[in-house]
Amino acid sequence: MTTIMNSFKPHEKRIARKIKETTDIFTIEIDMESNSYPGQFYELSILGIGEAPISAASSSSEKLKFTIRSIGHVTSKIFEQDVIGVRGPYGNYWPFKEYDRILAIAGGIGIPPIRALIHELEGKKDLWVIYGARTPSDLVYKYEFDQWRNKANLILTVDRGDESWNGKVGLVTKYIPEIPDLKNMAAFLIGPPIMMENSVKDLLKYGLQPENIFLSLERRMECGFGVCGHCNVGHFYVCEDGPIFRYSEVSNLPELFL
Amino acid sequence: MIYSLNAEEMAQLYERISKEFETYGTVDIQGDITFSRIESYDELRIGRSDKPPKEFLIGRNENVLVFTEPNKKAVFGVMSCDLKGFYIMDKQIYGKDPFYTARRDNTVFINYVCTEPCETGFCSSFGGPLLNDYQIQVINYENDKYLIYADDAYKSFFEGFKQASKEEISKVEKLMHNFNMKQKKHEVEGIENRIKWNSKLWDEYAKICIQCGACNYSCPTCYCFDLNDVGEERFREWDSCILAGFTKTSAGNPRESLASRLRQRFYHKFVYYKKSKGEYLCTGCNRCTDDCPVDIEIKEVIDHDYNNE
Ligand SMILES: Cc1cc2nc3c(=O)[nH]c(=O)nc-3n(C[C@H](O)[C@H](O)[C@H](O)COP(=O)(O)OP(=O)(O)OC[C@H]3O[C@@H](n4cnc5c(N)ncnc54)[C@H](O)[C@@H]3O)c2cc1C
Ligand code: SF4
Ligand code: SF4
Ligand code: FES
Repeated sequence: MTTIMNSFKPHEKRIARKIKETTDIFTIEIDMESNSYPGQFYELSILGIGEAPISAASSSSEKLKFTIRSIGHVTSKIFEQDVIGVRGPYGNYWPFKEYDRILAIAGGIGIPPIRALIHELEGKKDLWVIYGARTPSDLVYKYEFDQWRNKANLILTVDRGDESWNGKVGLVTKYIPEIPDLKNMAAFLIGPPIMMENSVKDLLKYGLQPENIFLSLERRMECGFGVCGHCNVGHFYVCEDGPIFRYSEVSNLPELFL
Repeated sequence: MIYSLNAEEMAQLYERISKEFETYGTVDIQGDITFSRIESYDELRIGRSDKPPKEFLIGRNENVLVFTEPNKKAVFGVMSCDLKGFYIMDKQIYGKDPFYTARRDNTVFINYVCTEPCETGFCSSFGGPLLNDYQIQVINYENDKYLIYADDAYKSFFEGFKQASKEEISKVEKLMHNFNMKQKKHEVEGIENRIKWNSKLWDEYAKICIQCGACNYSCPTCYCFDLNDVGEERFREWDSCILAGFTKTSAGNPRESLASRLRQRFYHKFVYYKKSKGEYLCTGCNRCTDDCPVDIEIKEVIDHDYNNE
């Protein structure tokens, strides 16, 4: 008799390390190896409360890490746990193997899968990263920025600065023109819909090909593997056809940037 | 294989099947035709059930953390428009949802094909009640005569029964042809190109829809569900794309308006599924309309003249 794997059932995993990043964002390291590539996600759960889809923040050779904004039932309780339910990985990953020059643009809590990418590529490709947050205190992974600069060209920007901040101020789109030889790059975008929409507009204007622009989409998810029907964008399910989509394949979907 | 049986042999067939499978079927409970456990073939009443047999494969409310190997079940009396729903859903969820998959593999549906059009259904717009996909398909084409299409996997149940003759088969084919001629046709083909994103239909429906979700729950092709924790259990519950919470996230709701959710339901059925799976997510059973308290009509969505509204 074939025994069927219950794909709904999470593995109970110990949280090995916790880092408080900002007032409402924290990072956890799970006591298991990553078996995912940057851009893929997992369903994390607390029994009795529920599940939430969260992107892997770790590269394929690190311990599994997640960086989570506390915003609702599940995400506000994960930091207090010693053990959480983990199932996954799900979805596709950034097509980093296909490109030598990559511009990654992350806004807000979109940064975890770009962190994963920076650590995955280890400086082996020409990687540019623009990471924008609302204020300096909303930036996460501050303790890794120096290390990142050895692996990528890093542009940090905030919407509003403060006394401590002497870096760049403004939306991520403001700094796109600073990247050399833009039009032959691939762009990986993740963040709030309005940020992605404006970034796409600009990138196209600077001559990037729509086939070389990739978006990571966020939708409500329940299952993560294509059976609950919650996450559709047009005829795609974000959990199994995405979360990463080639812009040229989704550009005409009316619900794309909602 | 195609067999020809009489009523007595039908009862024998039931006996043979019931030795290997737990038997279920449509029974008459005070005028309501409902699926229920049956112990004998006499209990079976052929007719349109109050609900589709969807619950045999997708629990309305079940703990997904505990998976148990399902019993082998045989379900008698499934209408074609309901059965077809499973073959359509298979394309999205078979092999992925472990509960659905295991039950699908362990359930045999004995499909009773309608020989007269029902009042509201429009299955002939989707090819009619004689299906290409079935396990055991029964056509009671004359009083004591049953033509049976059976997948070879079930041939042991038919040992000793007569194979259907050419004449019998062509009689049934003619009957089915007449069925399809009799029923009013709705032009489903090409709906994916005619339907309009900004049609006024969605706003009109939004003015009257009371967001009960009945259209989804009664649909033999709607498979969406929610997961909710209660204590140590995680419950799957049927969900409805008409409800505001369906797409709500911490980052906002891509389908805030009821009009956009009604449109989603019809787009999923007639545009998205066709595009992703090559088939419409609809069998023409008309259950969604029959059960809608405000009479929102799926046939109107198909027939509507989108170019001249
Ligand atoms: C592919 C993907 C990757 C993500 N990666 C991250 C990440 O790395 N870090 C991070 O902080 N957040 C991430 N999110 C967002 C995160 O999933 C939501 O913030 C989280 O689900 C909220 O759950 P909650 O129970 O705390 O909130 P509640 O609002 O209480 O959630 C209630 C229900 O809504 C669902 N839900 C709510 N918001 C979302 C949402 N935005 N997306 C999907 N389902 C939602 C939950 O599954 C839950 O069932 C990601 C979302 C997706 C789709
Ligand atoms: S959409 Fe309506 S007519 Fe079509 S299968 Fe579902 S319930 Fe039947
Ligand atoms: S059955 Fe009718 S009233 Fe109820 S949700 Fe569906 S369309 Fe709206
Ligand atoms: S999350 Fe269930 S289908 Fe995508």
